[in-house]
Amino acid sequence: MRRALIIALLVLAAVPLLFGVSQLPPIGSTGNPTYTHVVPRYLEEGAEEAGAENIVTAVILNYRGYDTNGEVTVIFTALVAVLGVLTFAKATAAKSEPAEETPVPAPPMPVSPVTRFIVRILAPFILLFSIYMVIYGHTSPGGGFQGGTIVGALLIAVSLVSGSAQAKRLLPERIRPWLQPAAVLAFALVGVAGLWLIGPYLSFPVEGELVFLRTPWLTIIEFGIGIGGAAIVASIFWAMEGSD
Amino acid sequence: MRVLWTNIDYAASVVLFLIGLYAVIAKGNLIKKLMGLNIMETAVFAFVMATGIVTGGDAPILGKGAEPPFANPLPQALILTGIVVALSTTALALSLIMRIYERHGTIESDDLWGVE
Amino acid sequence: MTRIFDILLYALLISCALMVIRTKDLLGAAIIFSTYSLVMCLVWQLRGSPDVALTEAAVGAGVTSVLFLITVARTTRRER
Repeated sequence: MRRALIIALLVLAAVPLLFGVSQLPPIGSTGNPTYTHVVPRYLEEGAEEAGAENIVTAVILNYRGYDTNGEVTVIFTALVAVLGVLTFAKATAAKSEPAEETPVPAPPMPVSPVTRFIVRILAPFILLFSIYMVIYGHTSPGGGFQGGTIVGALLIAVSLVSGSAQAKRLLPERIRPWLQPAAVLAFALVGVAGLWLIGPYLSFPVEGELVFLRTPWLTIIEFGIGIGGAAIVASIFWAMEGSD
Repeated sequence: MRVLWTNIDYAASVVLFLIGLYAVIAKGNLIKKLMGLNIMETAVFAFVMATGIVTGGDAPILGKGAEPPFANPLPQALILTGIVVALSTTALALSLIMRIYERHGTIESDDLWGVE
Repeated sequence: MTRIFDILLYALLISCALMVIRTKDLLGAAIIFSTYSLVMCLVWQLRGSPDVALTEAAVGAGVTSVLFLITVARTTRRER
């Protein structure tokens, strides 16, 4: 009875949504309002203004750089919140009420030797490919975050196959607090340099004698996003696994 | 009806959004609700990307061998940020679910009424 | 021709989403969710955006599914 009521309500909500969707301009034409407003300028002048042939990277890092700054702050905040919920709560609970919670079972899982062999053989090539994607982010599909997430997933795979203790040696404990906010720090560095040299925060030189700075700044940001993304994804996995 | 057939990309994302909304409302398990929320998020991404379709368009990467018309690069940049934010909220929600299970022993929302 | 492929992919997406919310075994639901993310990655690639396809494949089918599996392993496996 309750389920039938919910389904009826959703079907009722679907009618105005589908009606509204059918009134939108037709899909696929280049005369759409979303295509004629600001995109021709991005496509025609993006390569010279932003210094990147991949227009999506140019839009992310140059035209909409503030949004990317906010995005890396969001994922770093999520890491801080996950660590706060999982490790801090466990520490205070162990101090105040030691024997009141359901114990969490953690049985060791056997891993088949085929998986272990393949992960160990493929790991250096995956790392090489992700570094290639980070470096060539502005001339081919790829970019900072794609490469960073692939390295993070590689760390997760190595941790599942060889045990967390061995995988954590790839990101040593002492430098891990400096690798996790690498994206936020890279953005702050480039932004303050732009503030000091040119004008507003996070501004890129368009023409003049400072044009040669564009490529190093873009590379610093991309590497920062890559390293930060990898460290954050791996740290979230290790915190949730509970082996800290 | 015929106009809906032309705009079928939009209609498919609306249907996916409503499927996710049903999972959030009607299911009792917290993990199932979170999967429904994730389906809703990807349905919204599909809707925004559908506004950027250009029939016969290439990827917007200039270089040798790329010719106009190009696909719209603006929704792609917005969706990249959206995917990262969806990952952040999913990770935080899953860690909260683990803490709820450790403290109360259950993750059914019917049993969690009125606990502190 | 490509419209038929698009419509097939949308039908696969909708059926994957329906199966995710119908399965009572949470481990199976997490794996079907990974398949849903993979089909979504194919949809992005067909729309001419390889960047978004790479990100969705790495994040959705890679990291999010592993996080769901860890949560299912440390909480219950069957839904009531």
